[in-house]
Amino acid sequence: MTPIMRTIHWMNAICMVVAVATGLYIGYPYYQTLIADPAVDKYVMAWNRWGHFIAAIIFDVTAILIGYLYLFSNFEKPYKKILPTKKNFIEFCEVFFNLMTFNRRKKFDSSHSDSYNIMFFTLFHILLVFMLLTGLQLYVHGLGSGHSSIGAWWPWILHLSTDWTLSVFGGNMGVRIAHHTTMYLLIMWVMCHIYYQIWRTIFWQEGDIAIVFSGYKFAKNKKTEDK
Amino acid sequence: MVDSQDMVKKVFTQKSARIDTNKGEEYYNCLFENAKQRISMLQKQPALKDIDMIDVIESEGINRRDFMKWVSATTATLMLPPMFEPLVAQATELMNRVPVVWIELQDCAGNSEALLRSSAPTVDDLLFDVLSLEFHETLQAAAGHDADRQLEEAVEHFKGKYLLFVEGAIPMANDGKYGTIGASGETFHEHLMRMSKDAAAVVAVGTCATFGGIPAAAPNPTGAVGVMDLVKGKPVVNIPACPANPANMVGVILHFVLTGQIPELDSLLRPKFAFGYRIHDNCERRAHFDAGEFVEEWGDIGAQNNWCLYKVGCKGPMTFNNCSIIRYNEGTNWPVGVGRGCIGCSEPDFWDKYAYERPMANANIKAPTGGVEKTVDEFGLGLLTATTIGIGLHAVASAIAGKKSEQNEEE
Ligand code: SF4
Ligand code: SF4
Repeated sequence: MTPIMRTIHWMNAICMVVAVATGLYIGYPYYQTLIADPAVDKYVMAWNRWGHFIAAIIFDVTAILIGYLYLFSNFEKPYKKILPTKKNFIEFCEVFFNLMTFNRRKKFDSSHSDSYNIMFFTLFHILLVFMLLTGLQLYVHGLGSGHSSIGAWWPWILHLSTDWTLSVFGGNMGVRIAHHTTMYLLIMWVMCHIYYQIWRTIFWQEGDIAIVFSGYKFAKNKKTEDK
Repeated sequence: MVDSQDMVKKVFTQKSARIDTNKGEEYYNCLFENAKQRISMLQKQPALKDIDMIDVIESEGINRRDFMKWVSATTATLMLPPMFEPLVAQATELMNRVPVVWIELQDCAGNSEALLRSSAPTVDDLLFDVLSLEFHETLQAAAGHDADRQLEEAVEHFKGKYLLFVEGAIPMANDGKYGTIGASGETFHEHLMRMSKDAAAVVAVGTCATFGGIPAAAPNPTGAVGVMDLVKGKPVVNIPACPANPANMVGVILHFVLTGQIPELDSLLRPKFAFGYRIHDNCERRAHFDAGEFVEEWGDIGAQNNWCLYKVGCKGPMTFNNCSIIRYNEGTNWPVGVGRGCIGCSEPDFWDKYAYERPMANANIKAPTGGVEKTVDEFGLGLLTATTIGIGLHAVASAIAGKKSEQNEEE
């Protein structure tokens, strides 16, 4: 993983923790402010919303960046790994059956991200984009006046790109439920992701987990090719 | 530089959901001329009802000054500049030139109730005395065949001119047999279609008529739908809320009297002047929302201090309506003002998705898993538990399989 990719990875991880924590608070303010200050001085909900939106906007930007790298990266172009080619299919099945049969067999080049991982990666970003679109719809809902601090073009763009969610999910409450439910899918994804990477590290004994910290792992192949 | 910025801004601000409270001098001057012409045209027409607005107002003890105050407030509500005030005042006196036919379908008559005057009527309430209500089953004296005939005559006589107010949802299941009207047994659906055919515009009042409301709540046994699902090719204005605020009904009629057109609408066909903002945006408890100060229980310290009602189920952040501005009952108060949360009565699906008086997290809303009533959180927690168990099982199995393969390797 290149430094940029690692930065994005950890930024996303942090953003996600922030977004989940603040999102749960926004949905159900689980701690109460009992500080004897006047309301104008504490701003607890406002800070939570601020944190949620900032995390979301960082997600937005990285999503664009990742979308770009996905298609045009100088190193490996991830989209090539999800194309339905025979090689990818075999690779995917290899990893999948390894996982299912607790096997250490590895009949493909594991020095780069395999098809299975990239499938997961793609799924994650689809969920993420969905989160962004539904979230922005919920956000623009509050900009009923059609104005924003950076001009009227911003709500206009948001309406243009996210209003379809209203008809798909049956109004704002539907969008809200979809947004909230997808959070659970994302947490599920993260659990599986962490587990898989650890499992793989233990089982394949190639130090996969190190990739995301140092950028490198070692491959057990005859040709020791760095990632 | 500035020019190109302006241009970009213009490109990006066209046709947005924006509420334009100032559309520029040219627009208003043009509208003003049109309105003036329309009013002088209406003035020439004979009154449909021999009641004089000013007489009514004076007989109720409202003086000219109060009336003018109401006029300027209403002009502002309609998002028109002050120069329209004299025209609005004239238009109120001409309300008896625009025929209104009010039909009632599957509902509780709450909107009729809302438009009936209270003990101390406001100008809004009085306008309904002046209004030329050509037909209103609940309020009129005629009954049976007489009522039928009155309706036929009104529709025939005012072809293409009348405003059709519809209260109540339309049951569509079982060929619409859940609701029939008159001696002929015409279904509500047929009735609505026949009445709306010759109307100048259709105004759906109350949440039942707009989005199906309570009759359409799950499992919707009568297959109830709103007016906009059925009436096509005709201007439809939705004034949802349970009941619709009479001030908004008056606003729509006044706008029609003034301009001959329906007001600007949002994507759900609600007039922007009334439904352009969320009640949360103008709520008096908003500072407490931002501060994270919430009423946790009825009567607790938060409730005594007028804190935000979000945690006891207020749906204000999702509800578009102007209750927090114009309020109810002569503007004395409104739900949130008296310490109850908003239940989102003016939103589509309000009964299923909004009207539980609990915070979202404690509510039984249908999870996307279908049929079973569960909260999203229970569903989510279930998913996460299943995932944890799955991972756990896999980990244990891996450990065992790992040992085995190590043994094999050793052997
Ligand atoms: S009481 Fe309701 S509308 Fe008012 S600030 Fe709280 S959540 Fe918003
Ligand atoms: S406060 Fe909410 S529930 Fe009450 S009338 Fe207004 S929109 Fe309806």
